[in-house]
Amino acid sequence: MRHRALYQYNDVMKHYMQQYKFNGDYLLKGVFNHDLIQLIDNIDKDIVVPIPVSHYTMQTRGFNQVVGMLDGQTLSDILSIAASKKDHQSQFGRRERMNRQQPFALNVSSQLIVGQRILLVDDVYTTGNTMYHAANLLYQAGAKTVKSISLAR
Amino acid sequence: MKIENLYGRQLVCPKIDNNLGESRSAFQDGICQRCNQKIVAPLPNDAFYCRACLTLGRVSSLDNLVSLPEPNHFSGKVTLSWTGTLTHQQQKVSEDLLITLALHREHLVWAVTGAGKTEMLFPLIYRALQQKLRVGIVAPRVDVIVELSPRLHAAFAQTDMVTLYGEQTDCYRYTQLVLATTHQLLKFREAFDVLIIDEVDSFPFAGNDMLTHAVNNAVKVCHTMVYLTATPTRQLRKRINKGLPVSYLPLRFHQHLLPEIQLARLNKWRKKLPKKFQKQLSHLVESNKRFLIFVPKVADLKPVHDTINRWFPKMRGDFVHANDKRRQEKVKSMRNEEVQYLVTTTILERGVTFPGINVIILGADDEMFTENALVQIAGRVGRKSDCPTGLVLAYVEHVTLKVKAAQRQIIRLNRLGEKLRESM
Repeated sequence: MRHRALYQYNDVMKHYMQQYKFNGDYLLKGVFNHDLIQLIDNIDKDIVVPIPVSHYTMQTRGFNQVVGMLDGQTLSDILSIAASKKDHQSQFGRRERMNRQQPFALNVSSQLIVGQRILLVDDVYTTGNTMYHAANLLYQAGAKTVKSISLAR
Repeated sequence: MKIENLYGRQLVCPKIDNNLGESRSAFQDGICQRCNQKIVAPLPNDAFYCRACLTLGRVSSLDNLVSLPEPNHFSGKVTLSWTGTLTHQQQKVSEDLLITLALHREHLVWAVTGAGKTEMLFPLIYRALQQKLRVGIVAPRVDVIVELSPRLHAAFAQTDMVTLYGEQTDCYRYTQLVLATTHQLLKFREAFDVLIIDEVDSFPFAGNDMLTHAVNNAVKVCHTMVYLTATPTRQLRKRINKGLPVSYLPLRFHQHLLPEIQLARLNKWRKKLPKKFQKQLSHLVESNKRFLIFVPKVADLKPVHDTINRWFPKMRGDFVHANDKRRQEKVKSMRNEEVQYLVTTTILERGVTFPGINVIILGADDEMFTENALVQIAGRVGRKSDCPTGLVLAYVEHVTLKVKAAQRQIIRLNRLGEKLRESM
């Protein structure tokens, strides 16, 4: 699967993620908004799908960091987290991440996905595991193509 | 989490989690219950969070604040392992403080820089610890806390204590003695029987509504509060007139007078550091003296350091500012005499002692240096009895009223100190 990242994951990006995502300073959502939407505009797709966060994260962090960054972009909220409480990936090593079961479920009937060109968006791309599982699910449902982008890799 | 880690604390917990302790809503009418400010930013789904105290971990409308009453569960023996003796004047102040403790009052100690304020506190702290009271010692500046910490460890070797400030990674533990920056008090609620606020006039505490709230919230209803400063703000001096009890100490513990500020003109120093300045430095370098150079702005640090480095390539030095990642490390290397000088902003104006230090202030007429800041900077010099004097040189482009006022303040204090010395 083709993946494109806007920026390299370096100390500055780490600091940004720390403030925005983990310390929850939602006002910082706009920092890369313009750049991300410009990238999305230049990619052929039918629908843009953000990687979801769990119900628990919505009740604690209070926002989906990807949705926040894409303010103004039409999004299709077709994925959700299958497990009731998603374990935070950042606490796992590479091997543990790759071995995880399919974490996502479809929110909509697969009829709506058949033949669609889908663009997945995440904040940070590390092992590719998240994108792999999401794309897998979408292809199984009949998606025509699945591409992915992230803010940083 | 251990239940005792909630005693007198106020911690942020998501509402969705099962909380230990007593919970209350994090916001009332949009006002953050941790910091008492109304500076919120929105989250999706009508939730919101406080931006005023965000640096201490976010408080949002999705959270509760949890706490447990402070029960004074302290065991173990208390000893005062400090073996020094107080001067007659210090003794007098420390007796005032014992009375303050007995009456659960507020008290201001107005003592010159280098008066030995910390040692004067020992009898008060010792008695409070014996009475199983919880004691907090706080200061607005992290450098002050970092320097106080080993001295208190040495003085109360058998008492468990934690030192809390922003960048440090030490975990919180329930201890009878707590050292912290004033910001850390936002994580406490009705915890302290005795709270001592050092350098009470300094940034960012003075005039800061959030930190004032933090202090009032962190003490128990019945408490003893001690303020320490060498340079009280006008507001604090007004409170003296309205009846705030005060102890004065205009003489340093080693009985020598304060070094006075010398003034000299230095034009256009930002453009190019003049030869005159180089000559002055070479006096210090030749006699192997250690020194601090204070500059008004962060942007001045590197150019000044680079020039000195070019002039004296063999001499080791460094520069430091508030947001420097290696700030603690650099101050430590100065303390350990690994470097001979530091170029610094006003962050080292107070609370720090480097034996045998000299100070030079570049741009002393800049608005960054207040009258009290200049008095504090001068107060870094001559703090040890074996080296009670040193150079305090303020370079200005224009002689301002403020610089003159700082000079006069020291002269006035020395007059009082001299009188006290003669009366003994």
